[in-house]
Amino acid sequence: MMIEFDRVGLALGEFSLKDISFTVRGGEYFFIIGPSGAGKTIILEAIAGLHVPDTGRILLSGKDVSTIPPEQRGVGLVYQDYSLFPHMTVEKNIAFGLRMHHLPSSEIQRRVEELLSRFGIFHLRSRETLNLSGGEMQRVALARALAIDPQILLLDEPLSALDPGMKEYFIQVLKEIHRDNGLTIIQVSHNRHEILSLGTRMALIMDGRLEQEGSVRQVYASPATREVAEFIGYENVIDGVVVSSGDGECLIDASGLKLRASCTVPAGQGVTFCIGADEVVLHSPQASLSGKDNTVQGMVNAITQSGYLTRVVIDAGATLSAVIVREMADEMALRVGSPVLLTIRKNAIRMIGK
Amino acid sequence: MSNPGRESFWSRFRRPDSTLIAFSLIGSTLVIFSFLALATITLTQLADLTFLVRVATDSRVINSIALTFGAGLAVVFILLLFGTPLAYVLARTHSRINSLVEALIDIPLVLPHTVAGIMVYLLFMQRGLLGAPLKDIGIVFEDALPGIVMAMLFVSMPFYVNTVREGFQKVPLHIENVARTLGATRFKAFVLVVIPLSARHILNGSVLAWGRAISEFAAVIMIAYYPMIVSTLIYYRFTTGGLKESSAIAFLMIIASFSVFLVIRIATRYLGSYDDRV
Repeated sequence: MMIEFDRVGLALGEFSLKDISFTVRGGEYFFIIGPSGAGKTIILEAIAGLHVPDTGRILLSGKDVSTIPPEQRGVGLVYQDYSLFPHMTVEKNIAFGLRMHHLPSSEIQRRVEELLSRFGIFHLRSRETLNLSGGEMQRVALARALAIDPQILLLDEPLSALDPGMKEYFIQVLKEIHRDNGLTIIQVSHNRHEILSLGTRMALIMDGRLEQEGSVRQVYASPATREVAEFIGYENVIDGVVVSSGDGECLIDASGLKLRASCTVPAGQGVTFCIGADEVVLHSPQASLSGKDNTVQGMVNAITQSGYLTRVVIDAGATLSAVIVREMADEMALRVGSPVLLTIRKNAIRMIGK
Repeated sequence: MSNPGRESFWSRFRRPDSTLIAFSLIGSTLVIFSFLALATITLTQLADLTFLVRVATDSRVINSIALTFGAGLAVVFILLLFGTPLAYVLARTHSRINSLVEALIDIPLVLPHTVAGIMVYLLFMQRGLLGAPLKDIGIVFEDALPGIVMAMLFVSMPFYVNTVREGFQKVPLHIENVARTLGATRFKAFVLVVIPLSARHILNGSVLAWGRAISEFAAVIMIAYYPMIVSTLIYYRFTTGGLKESSAIAFLMIIASFSVFLVIRIATRYLGSYDDRV
């Protein structure tokens, strides 16, 4: 089912959605991302019919649904806190929607058992939901939302409270649900891994405004603004000036850091570009690096450990962040103040807003 | 699994906690005060059991207790019917008018009850704004049961509405939202999800309101000295028959009220015990 936001404005107390327009095509796995308080959950709730827009329209399959209440929209909703009914057993939670749709009890029984088996929670069917683990609650919440056979599934940060192993498991589960049920899924998330694993298209919301909408690949390849680039995880967002330009390539000077990039910006014009920290490759100062796109000398400013990874901040005219595996950092014997060579592929330098 | 917040009283003394011990000693002043008041009246009454039994079997006393409890129940019934929807609206909406409504409901809390009685009397007397038209259809409030119920209702409604509103506010909106996306209308979500999850608050609100209603005196006598509720009867016997007669009725009232509260608490001990965890 296609979902369209047509210049939707919606005020809730101090907060408001401002003139939001985007389209989610039928069968897409769409991500809405943005900082906390940006309005992502309100967008999901507006699709579910829990908020009525003050201005603009929300269309489901081309039909304005502004006046259709949530109970008639056939939209499944799973919150981050799962919101299971604590006064009902697992079985009754899953059956709730079917009972509301007045299905015969034999059919309710059949469908509940099918969902219990599908999500591997048959043994929990008589348990109270308050005593379940996070992963089990998540399965019940998904089974309950899918029980009513929705055409749209709305997921509000559904994996954020799970441990990494469980998260990986649910990414596979959601992939299967999307593939098997032919659903249109909209998921709110902060997690890059989830977006890259599941998403087909995405929208970025900041302070109630739509900053960018596009395919996941497109948004990551060319962020629309500095804020978008920073939010989606580019550690290096740098301002510079094009020194020379031609043949789809230009030379950029950023406070002395000179880089060749694929771009068509004319010479003399200011640009903002971003580079992923994993695209900044470190080498020992003695390494022979002929033929590499951009080879730059720098000095290590700071080193921080984060699990298996080491984050290295380098002064190369402009400040650059690089991420390498811890073992490699140990091998290179990196210390604050030590010189270092780094290379950056031309195509890893992404122009912002172009 | 043991709950550190609910460890037994004695286990605290095996691992002394000076703050808790000090607080227990300070707090016990109130418990001792209440206990001494109860013990004094109990010992006084038990000293003359024959007299107590005579008062307890006096039909005027029995009728008065029944009238008081019955009027209290009527108040709870009215509050369940009218107070519950009001509490839900106050819990789920954030209009500017809410503060005004809440202040209106709370008025009886900050007024001397004689003032509350005068307000109820002016409204429901036979020439009153509501009293006059209702008299025309045969409902009289002055010196009648409806007057007692209205006076009790006025002073007890903040206890019910505020307690139940807090209960509704504790039910996460997300749970109600999910129920609605699953096909429940707002009313069905209210009945099937919000009410069960606030059951304990509804019960507490009812018990508090009932307790407040049956203990009312000043507001009630302004509009209905007769038929005599227990408070009125105690006052009447105190001024006409003296302390002995009035304290016997008071003692019976204590036993009756305490028994009712105890039965309710035991019967509903586990009702809505998930409230704190939703």
